[in-house]
Amino acid sequence: MASPARELDVASAAAGYLRRRLTALGEKERFMLLLIAPAAAVLVLFQVVPILIGANASFRDWQLFNPKGTWIGLAHYAYILSDPIFLWVVLPNTFLLMFATVAMSLVLGMALAHLLNWSFPGHRLVQTVILLPQMIAPVIAATSMRWTFNDQFGVVAAFLRWVGFGQMSWLAERWPSFLIVIFTDVWIWTPWFALILLAALKSLPREPFEAAQIDAAGRWRTFTHITLPMLRPVIGVCVLIRSIDAFRTFDQVWVLTGGGPARSTEVFSIYAYVETFVNLDFGRGSAAAIIGALIILVVAWLMYRTIDRLTNISR
Amino acid sequence: MTTGRRIGGYALFGAWAATLALGAFATRAEAAETLNVCHGGHPIMEASIKILEKWAKKFDVNLTSTTIAYAIFVPKITQILTTNSPQCDIVWHNDDWGQIWKQYLVTTDDVPGVADFPKQPLDAFWNDDHKLTVVPMVHTVGTFFYRTDLVAENEVPKTFDELVQVSEKLQKAGKVKWGYVGGMSMNNTWFSLWWTMWNNQCDILKPIYARTVKEWSADGWTPIVDQPCHQEIVEYWWDALHKHKISPEAMTTYGRNEANAIFEAGDAAFTVADSTFWGEFNDKNKSLVAGKVGMAKFPYGPRRKQPISWDDIWGWAIPKAVSPEHQKLAKQLLGAMLTDTDGQIGMWNETGGPPPSVKAFEVLQRNDPVFRNLQKAVFEGEHVHSAYYFANWPQLHKAYSDVAIKALTGPREGIPQVLKDGVKSLHEVAAAQ
Repeated sequence: MASPARELDVASAAAGYLRRRLTALGEKERFMLLLIAPAAAVLVLFQVVPILIGANASFRDWQLFNPKGTWIGLAHYAYILSDPIFLWVVLPNTFLLMFATVAMSLVLGMALAHLLNWSFPGHRLVQTVILLPQMIAPVIAATSMRWTFNDQFGVVAAFLRWVGFGQMSWLAERWPSFLIVIFTDVWIWTPWFALILLAALKSLPREPFEAAQIDAAGRWRTFTHITLPMLRPVIGVCVLIRSIDAFRTFDQVWVLTGGGPARSTEVFSIYAYVETFVNLDFGRGSAAAIIGALIILVVAWLMYRTIDRLTNISR
Repeated sequence: MTTGRRIGGYALFGAWAATLALGAFATRAEAAETLNVCHGGHPIMEASIKILEKWAKKFDVNLTSTTIAYAIFVPKITQILTTNSPQCDIVWHNDDWGQIWKQYLVTTDDVPGVADFPKQPLDAFWNDDHKLTVVPMVHTVGTFFYRTDLVAENEVPKTFDELVQVSEKLQKAGKVKWGYVGGMSMNNTWFSLWWTMWNNQCDILKPIYARTVKEWSADGWTPIVDQPCHQEIVEYWWDALHKHKISPEAMTTYGRNEANAIFEAGDAAFTVADSTFWGEFNDKNKSLVAGKVGMAKFPYGPRRKQPISWDDIWGWAIPKAVSPEHQKLAKQLLGAMLTDTDGQIGMWNETGGPPPSVKAFEVLQRNDPVFRNLQKAVFEGEHVHSAYYFANWPQLHKAYSDVAIKALTGPREGIPQVLKDGVKSLHEVAAAQ
């Protein structure tokens, strides 16, 4: 055990080192540090510390109503990684949702961006209207979508009955309910892609397009050989950000299906939520969250490498 | 005296008077203690708080209330209790989580009126020293509602089979779209699967109708969802949804909002909901069937000769972290609420919540035909508890719901296997507690 005098020496040495480092910095750098200090403090207090507390809980027997906190090592991790529901339902659903919503939102967002890149009467109005889904809280969008597809009172059900289809129990079956989740997510996020891609389209240089026109290139060829390569860096960043976000989708799935029927549409965030806030098992819920974070870290790193390579090719 | 000096004098006098008034106000504000009630915002809780407010004024107590969304109520209050935070002086309590809070709550045996309350609905709220940890606010009873304009009192189905027959008859006659509608998704299991389960002499765990850890552990925490009594009720609902079509196929996804909306739209002849929905079903602004709703006993299955219903309570509880002065005041207020006959009758009239006061119960029995009807339908006869009193109960509920919904959304011939597979997962959840 270190003596108090020795601890004091270490502390004063550390303080001296810090002082020397700060003095070594220029006035501008010190001012910059001062400016970022509040944000850094918030980040540490509300992000880093809770993550550390959560990580600590994931190794302990920590039920909310009985927080014993006994150290149990990797038991929660072993449970989750050997849970067939997590491996064969939750993870595939999560990646399917991520892939489907990002791909569809990207394609539709690109189409909308091209539409808005033309000038036509009412252009501004259309631009505002198509942004509306992005302005609605996802939980509200999902609730309205749940009633839209309600088998008794929903407008979709009413329309389908009117054109001759029978009763449609969308949310009672796995794939129809999963499709509604995807549809809702795409509906919410397409405007985001459209807005960013529109900004990118407007910033593209005109010369390559004029050259293509002179060479009599068709619209599709111009799009695939000029527009798309030049947009590749922006698309890459959009896909990366949105994929990370889609991995943790919660509101839409919880409101629309609750992960059902019988857990068949459960995704990673629902799994962690149920463990934590339904089963009140903070230890296992935290372990699930950490596993999810590690998975998305690896996926994001792979995507980043791929996007980086594609972006370099396009330069 | 010059005008300036006169104005100055008035100003001085005004300041002096204002200081006196403020001082008096501050002294009064300091004297009155403030109690904070944390609840889920249900109309019954609001009505009960009204009674508390009436008594708070008499006891010179300031009452504030904090509404917490139902979805996060249990985690939030559990966190408050386990961290000994005195944020809430009085909290909404429910038999569903009676056992997970028992060590964090003040005992309430000494609250006036509690001793007169029937013991059975309080089973969830005893702590390890066999002391009570709740003050009842309202009885919560599931009720079988029917349309009086479609079904005469003597024609109300008494058995499961009759429910199908009467429903089909009404549907064929074009009088109604659906026979029965009720919540079925997670946390709404009572309104379809469970009332039929208990009314077919069945349960989730062995022994049937047991509600103590001692009894379940003696039987090895054995789920009986694969037994014939349970298979019968799952098959009954499968047929109701897919074969007889007396209920919508999507009912497996319905919460109480969807089910109540269908009943209130006049599209279903029967439903099961908390008795507290009596008011809403008869509200002309919300319901197309207002004035045409009756209450009856539950239909029962082939394994029973009489219906069985549940009679549990919602209540108020006092956290141990609250200061002794506030605990005393809270007990005074809750005792006054519990013995306030007029206030309780007002709550019944306003919300349809059966009052916990024994005297109010007697008055309503004598004077209120609707209450007599409810009493005949629910309070008379055998009772089972609608929740399972052990710590892992929320987890067991979710696991049960997943098994049952999987069986109901798959092929009928697959039901036995799904239930058999479910036994393992339910046992693991129950025995882990």
